[in-house]
Amino acid sequence: MPTRRMRLTGAAAAVTALALGLAACSAPGGSRTEPSAPVEKITAPVTPEQVAELGEVTLSVWADQGEQDFMDQLVPAYEAEFPNVTVDIQFKSFNDLTATVLNAMNSADAPDVAQGNQGWATDGALVKAGLIRPLDDVADAYDYRDAAGDAITQLQWSEDGSAFGEGAVYGMSPDNQMVGLFSNREKLAALGLGTPTTLDELEAAFAAAKAAGQTPLVLGNADKASAMQTFSILQGALTPAADTREWITGAKGADFAVDSNGEALDRFAEWVAKGYVSAGYDGTSPDDAAAAFASGEGVFFIGGNWYAGAISDGAAFDFTPGLSDGDYASSGSFGMPWHVSSKSDATLAAIAFVGMVNSPESAELLAGIHRVPIQPVEAAGDDAMFAALLDASATQLDGAGPLYWYGWATDTMFDTFTGGLQEVLAGRESADALLERVQSDWVDFHTD
Amino acid sequence: MTTLSPPRPGPARAAGSAPRRRPFLRRYDWDAYLYLVPAFAFYLVFLVRPVVESIWIALFDWDGITASEWVGFDNFAEVLADPQIWQATLHSLVFVVFYALLPTALALVFVGAIARIRVRGLAAFRALLFVPYILSTVVVAISWRWIFAETGPLNTALRAIGLDGLTRTWLGDFTTALPSVGIIGTWVMFGLAFVLFVSGLQNIPAEQFEAARLDGAGPVREFFAVTLPALRGEIQVALVLMITAALRNFDIVWNTTSGGPGTSTTVPSYFIYREAFVTHQVGRASAIAVVLTLLIFAIVGAVMWLTRDRDAAAPRGGTR
Repeated sequence: MPTRRMRLTGAAAAVTALALGLAACSAPGGSRTEPSAPVEKITAPVTPEQVAELGEVTLSVWADQGEQDFMDQLVPAYEAEFPNVTVDIQFKSFNDLTATVLNAMNSADAPDVAQGNQGWATDGALVKAGLIRPLDDVADAYDYRDAAGDAITQLQWSEDGSAFGEGAVYGMSPDNQMVGLFSNREKLAALGLGTPTTLDELEAAFAAAKAAGQTPLVLGNADKASAMQTFSILQGALTPAADTREWITGAKGADFAVDSNGEALDRFAEWVAKGYVSAGYDGTSPDDAAAAFASGEGVFFIGGNWYAGAISDGAAFDFTPGLSDGDYASSGSFGMPWHVSSKSDATLAAIAFVGMVNSPESAELLAGIHRVPIQPVEAAGDDAMFAALLDASATQLDGAGPLYWYGWATDTMFDTFTGGLQEVLAGRESADALLERVQSDWVDFHTD
Repeated sequence: MTTLSPPRPGPARAAGSAPRRRPFLRRYDWDAYLYLVPAFAFYLVFLVRPVVESIWIALFDWDGITASEWVGFDNFAEVLADPQIWQATLHSLVFVVFYALLPTALALVFVGAIARIRVRGLAAFRALLFVPYILSTVVVAISWRWIFAETGPLNTALRAIGLDGLTRTWLGDFTTALPSVGIIGTWVMFGLAFVLFVSGLQNIPAEQFEAARLDGAGPVREFFAVTLPALRGEIQVALVLMITAALRNFDIVWNTTSGGPGTSTTVPSYFIYREAFVTHQVGRASAIAVVLTLLIFAIVGAVMWLTRDRDAAAPRGGTR
């Protein structure tokens, strides 16, 4: 039989626990992380000898699951070159990674290397919180800056994370992703047409396809992003790419509500009204649409070069960059950037890893798995589709460059833009009304 | 509610409730509560504390990482003034019809029917109907995306019977997206309601049906006089579970329409996710969560009050 003392102890324990639970309430959040042991700037690629001085280390890495094939080859190569380092790599789905990487990098046992995502939501927040190391020296030492060219601005942030597109390079990404035009060679030939390179030619091809009873453009927009990517081909042809990039990176006074963007929206809505776009696109997933196109439906499919996995037959299909009207601009960016934690206690090993991922040697590994490297590669191999992807990437980077993604402009822009575009295409909202909403989202974000 | 029974106060209760005046701490038998400490501590740490913390965080402007700033009730004011949140809440209320009211009504009709007939293989039937409820919602969403697709079975069936004019991409159409997502919920929840009601039905003494029939009650009268009152408890449980699911719905919407087309299927949970993980406004996310929780409490409370046992002393079924 418990004594009264025991009973009272139990009650007291319960009350204490309750109090502790409630007392956890101090103002949430800490201060900005300052690097614990700043590492001197490097001037040449990190050598195995430098890394060996660290002793036995485990390098913790967070990567997108899309990197698995690449990492399967790169990690052993890295561990062979730096034998005192063991790489502990964790793969996450894109949504998982972007939702949790900020908290992970802020935790006590933060990964040494992690992939982020360009734009305010992930990279901007990482820089603002001081969680990642500037990589200007690494970009120079590993010949990355030249390979990236002007598009390096997508990796640049001011030190406090308040300005995008200028300042230090905070991440490095080895591959290029871009939206382009997939076309069905056989059907175009049957219509007596070649691959269109101007907006007029594209619209003429749509009209010819429609007249011949074909679906001109296959679209699946259940993810809401695909129509926005398709739109970039039109918008890139009508508005100067530099203006769009400035707007996306938040340059003072930039404005999206310009006539040429209104025209692009109106023309896209016209495509839908004229029946150029496959029926039911808002309820079709982009993967299903790509699969349908690959199995012979429709004449064109506008989408990212990553759909070449599904639309892989280079003899049957062609891939071309944006239209020549806009010097080949379309939505695109490098892949998810690799970052070095500012809290890492093996910074040199982390730099060596990110450097190797982005090195000219790794470009061959990427090409081997049909991803488009930024660093130059020797040969495309004999895969016609992959050769087209390399060609398109080079054409765009030499031309007006990628537009980046409209969704990067503010942290709510993806929703504003994609939802609004669906309304415009369905004829429920005017182009001007959407442009006004988009611009006011931008102004609100930048005046906060 | 039938799930949680109150702590059994043990044999010393008689002494505790005796009319003799005793000091407060000795009026109850504290031994019984000692057994609750482990569960209570767990509850405190994993439920009460996060809830209290959410309410607390809602009072700050915080990005989840760097220093926060006290803003009092500004987050709540912003949330309540946001037309997007109100629109999303309205969608949730529509989902209450599809996720709770419709499955309850359908299940009652089925139960009313099988109350009078003998169903062979009822157990198998019941298990089959319960499957949607235990399936992963992602699987459910993908299956229904296919059913609702432009060339999916639903449109194929409509074309087969000459209703070509009705065909559309159900999830991609501004007018049909919301009810289409709702129908998925009805399909999922029907099994739950049905299983609960069938088990309730089996607890009704056969004499009550016999008596009703002897008194000349037809199937409809029998349903309203015997079956429905006897199932009050089960209906209450089912409604609470299903309404809660409707109001916090996220996964099915996310995997079918992502809130689109336009904003026609947005739900409050989506904004909680977005503010917490995309725009890093953890304070606002918490404020939305608190408002949503209060809304769920209010609606569930109203439902429990409406379905309360108005004559608790009467025997179950209350036909005599």
